[in-house]
Amino acid sequence: MKKSHPSDHETVRRLRSAMGSPPACALVASRTRIRKWHADTAPLIRWGETKSPLGTLFVALSARGLCAVDFGRREADFLERLDPRARLEKDLGAAQPVIEQLLEYFARARTRFDLQVDLSLLTPFQREVLKAASRIAPGRVWTYQRVAEEIGRPECSRPVGQALARNPVPIVIPCHRVIASDGSLGGYSGGSGLTAKRWLLQLEGALS
Amino acid sequence: MRFEELIDRHHDEIYAYLWRLLGNERCSDAMRSVEDLVQEVFLRAYENFHSVRPDSNHRAWLYKIATNCAFTALRQIRKRRKSFLQWMHSPVAAEPHPAVQTMRRQLRALVEQLPSKQKAGVTLRYLQDLDYAEIAAVLGCSEQTARANVSQALRRLRSALKEER
Repeated sequence: MKKSHPSDHETVRRLRSAMGSPPACALVASRTRIRKWHADTAPLIRWGETKSPLGTLFVALSARGLCAVDFGRREADFLERLDPRARLEKDLGAAQPVIEQLLEYFARARTRFDLQVDLSLLTPFQREVLKAASRIAPGRVWTYQRVAEEIGRPECSRPVGQALARNPVPIVIPCHRVIASDGSLGGYSGGSGLTAKRWLLQLEGALS
Repeated sequence: MRFEELIDRHHDEIYAYLWRLLGNERCSDAMRSVEDLVQEVFLRAYENFHSVRPDSNHRAWLYKIATNCAFTALRQIRKRRKSFLQWMHSPVAAEPHPAVQTMRRQLRALVEQLPSKQKAGVTLRYLQDLDYAEIAAVLGCSEQTARANVSQALRRLRSALKEER
């Protein structure tokens, strides 16, 4: 390792002293201004949680609609996946209508959801894939290949799988109803993975 | 990392970095222009935040934006203002002794005359405490080049200080 010149320390000491630091009041004023700008600019995401048969169920809503559903994870992991620019606010009142519909679904009292979803952070391809998956009726399953054909891209069964893995609102958009061509379950990115996928398909009567 | 966290963790050091980098261009309306520049840095960061990988070094990324903003601002300011020696004779914070004040002014003037990457490098290393890997990321060069920039800056300052004794 290169040895520093004996007078480097003195030069650095003098440099630090000469360059100085900004006044504390200027830092406070600027920090306050930046925080206010962020509060005025960044979208607000309100979120809530409840207990469910699949572990803790989390939901989050932007101004556009439901933007995230997840379950069986730690709270910090769920929040980490939300739009990193947004301001987060825990708001059980705002989340309640979504939670109610999901609990009705778990209790077999509901098979379809009446919710506005926000897929604005996804690419057009991902949105198209999820839109196709939304059309799969409860109790039925499609293959990744079938979804690819439905969107007019029969050569894209693998990218379809990747797009489904990025579904921000599982259950509500039923990506669990998509399985592999050989009849195996394929993958599932929701909370507890394939165990959850199997459980959901059994709940809907698609699997015995 | 969330954007709010980015503000809380790094605002103050980015402000101090820009305040130092602007150096003698912090003229009479200094605080205002540094504040505007900080706002520009965070605005650019906000616009591009979604494209930053969660495991990347957010601090180095933010310093890179700040460095680019500062270089652009300095170029614009210097275009407008022919002489940047003006500041050398403007008052600075009260000093305990005129000799110390003079020494600080001289040293700051020396820093001002460094090439921009050397100036940024030595400020990042010794005033902002970034390591060489981070400095390389900020300046968009290899770690070796970052070390060379800092070391050349230090050598220039050291020999200039010797000559003045």
